[in-house]
Amino acid sequence: MITTMVGNYPKISPDAKAPSLRQAITRFDESRITFEDVKRVEDETTKEVIQDQVDAGLDLVTDGQIRWDDGQTYFARGIKGFAVNGLIRYFDTNTYYRHPIPENKLQSNGAITVKDYEFAAANSARPVKAVVTGPYSLARLSQLGCYEDLRSLVMDLVPILNREAKALQDAGASVIQFDEPSILKHKEDIDLFAEAIQGVRDGITATTGICTIFGDATGVHERLFGLPVDIVSLDFIMGPANYDLVGDFPQGKSLGCGIVDARNTRLEAVEEIAANIGRISKSVSIDRLHVNPSCGLDFLPRPNARAKLARLAEGARKAQEDLS
Amino acid sequence: MSNGLLTTAVGSYPKPDYITRARAQRQRGDISAEELEELEKQATAYWIKVQEDVEMDVVVDGEMYRGDMVAYFAENMDGFTNSGLVRSYGNRYYRKPIATGPIGRGKSITVDWWKYAQSLTDRPVKGMLTGPYTIVDWSFNEYYPTREAFIMDTALAVREEAMDLAKAGCKYIQIDEPALSVRPEEMEIAAKAFAVVTDGLDALTITHICYGDFAKVFPHLATFPVDMLDMEMTNSDFDFLELIREYPSFDKYLAMGVVDVHNHVIEPLDKVKAGIKMGLEVLTPERLFIDPDCGLKTRMVDESIAKLQVISDAVREVKEELGIE
Repeated sequence: MITTMVGNYPKISPDAKAPSLRQAITRFDESRITFEDVKRVEDETTKEVIQDQVDAGLDLVTDGQIRWDDGQTYFARGIKGFAVNGLIRYFDTNTYYRHPIPENKLQSNGAITVKDYEFAAANSARPVKAVVTGPYSLARLSQLGCYEDLRSLVMDLVPILNREAKALQDAGASVIQFDEPSILKHKEDIDLFAEAIQGVRDGITATTGICTIFGDATGVHERLFGLPVDIVSLDFIMGPANYDLVGDFPQGKSLGCGIVDARNTRLEAVEEIAANIGRISKSVSIDRLHVNPSCGLDFLPRPNARAKLARLAEGARKAQEDLS
Repeated sequence: MSNGLLTTAVGSYPKPDYITRARAQRQRGDISAEELEELEKQATAYWIKVQEDVEMDVVVDGEMYRGDMVAYFAENMDGFTNSGLVRSYGNRYYRKPIATGPIGRGKSITVDWWKYAQSLTDRPVKGMLTGPYTIVDWSFNEYYPTREAFIMDTALAVREEAMDLAKAGCKYIQIDEPALSVRPEEMEIAAKAFAVVTDGLDALTITHICYGDFAKVFPHLATFPVDMLDMEMTNSDFDFLELIREYPSFDKYLAMGVVDVHNHVIEPLDKVKAGIKMGLEVLTPERLFIDPDCGLKTRMVDESIAKLQVISDAVREVKEELGIE
């Protein structure tokens, strides 16, 4: 069993040792410090949030996406042809992102996250998972702009993000996760989705995963489980019906289990977490489980996020003891 | 006051620098609560004067004493604990309350501020509350077993506050529900909770809603237990008017946002007039109020005043052109 994060982590904290990123960005906006200064604070903050994960006992960490405003604009700003528009709500959360819009045919503009990966890998005592927003969701969460339909936008993003994944692999990333938060809200697009996933992981020999959040896969779970990736992640908090689907999970793949609520401060009991892992392990053997929060932890204040991770690791240990 | 095309505002205005500074000083304990309140009163009086100067019909107190629209109420209600900061977008953060016990109103929260603002002007001052659904949706929950239980208890607390405002003489009570349109499957619970707040309330009730897929939930909005819907229009190309046009039994008042609050640019007079005239194609002047898209607190003071002025000028000219009393 592997304990891991989904992706993002709170950027600021009352007990942070690194200089305040919030203050640094404000100062940068007021032209009082340089972009290089902000980057240094981002570096320090990244090291700190990696250490939080290592201290919590996670086996596989992320860089916390400290440099990202959100999963959409960080990629959109790195792809030629995208502009970034006004604020729009991210699903049913009280968080917002700027709406990307393709003004011209999209083209790769070089690697987007490779330097971030290299920095994180060099500063982590544990392996680092690279995270890329998947082509389907990046398109879904953008406006169509100059594109005629969703399909053509998705299929233009596929080679660009495939190139990103290859560059991450060349940089040493052994696990690459494609975030696909939108597919469970648009199950009718599962054919297009399957084609996009096939394309984006083409030629990748690293371990690949797709991560879904905010819902259950009822109706499309067999298609989802059959995709050519090594890890399929489900959110068991907002999609409790996922518990009923894991009986169909195929051999030879790992199941990502979002089993602590990353959107609420209430701490799950260790026994509750262990019992839920136990429930899933009746269908998928424990050595094929990745256990993680239900989505990115940036929805919580950092002290709460840290407590969630520690509790997650504790629950996983308890499950392991119970089952061995 | 005229009978048609009344002007109003959505709620917040920018805080002058001395308020921002004083709030930080208060947090560090450098000044007393009374000292801060004196400054907040001074700033409230300033905004009342601004609104009188631009001849706004139904004014607001500008919320100089509030930080976040949910945290402010949670901090003053029973049952909530303050949490740390969470990110809203970019470099913006807010304090997201945590329900750790049964929610209750406790002492009245906004009534004294409303009385103070009303004492400064003859124009009606709106009472400004945050609705139960939004308070719940923008809080963490460590106490209630279900969202519905949390929402219904919060509704009772908000009702108490609304009743006290009405008792104090407040004729317009706005209960904002910006979180409302996000989950169509919860619209019925949200409406049930809102009805608890507005049932039998002796005031014109208003709700401000934003950032949603209104086409999907329009039948719910058209029958929502409130007298007036306050909608941003500039930020959504006036699409909402089409929904009203296609729904002949729509019988609510509409407050129509005609200037963007996320933009430094002051809208040209002609553009604002054109927006107002689009509204008049769908609703009579008696049922149409004109205001900015949303609270102006993220704009600069000067920008806010300029935006209020262009609304006032546009309404006056449209009234003259169309002979509206």
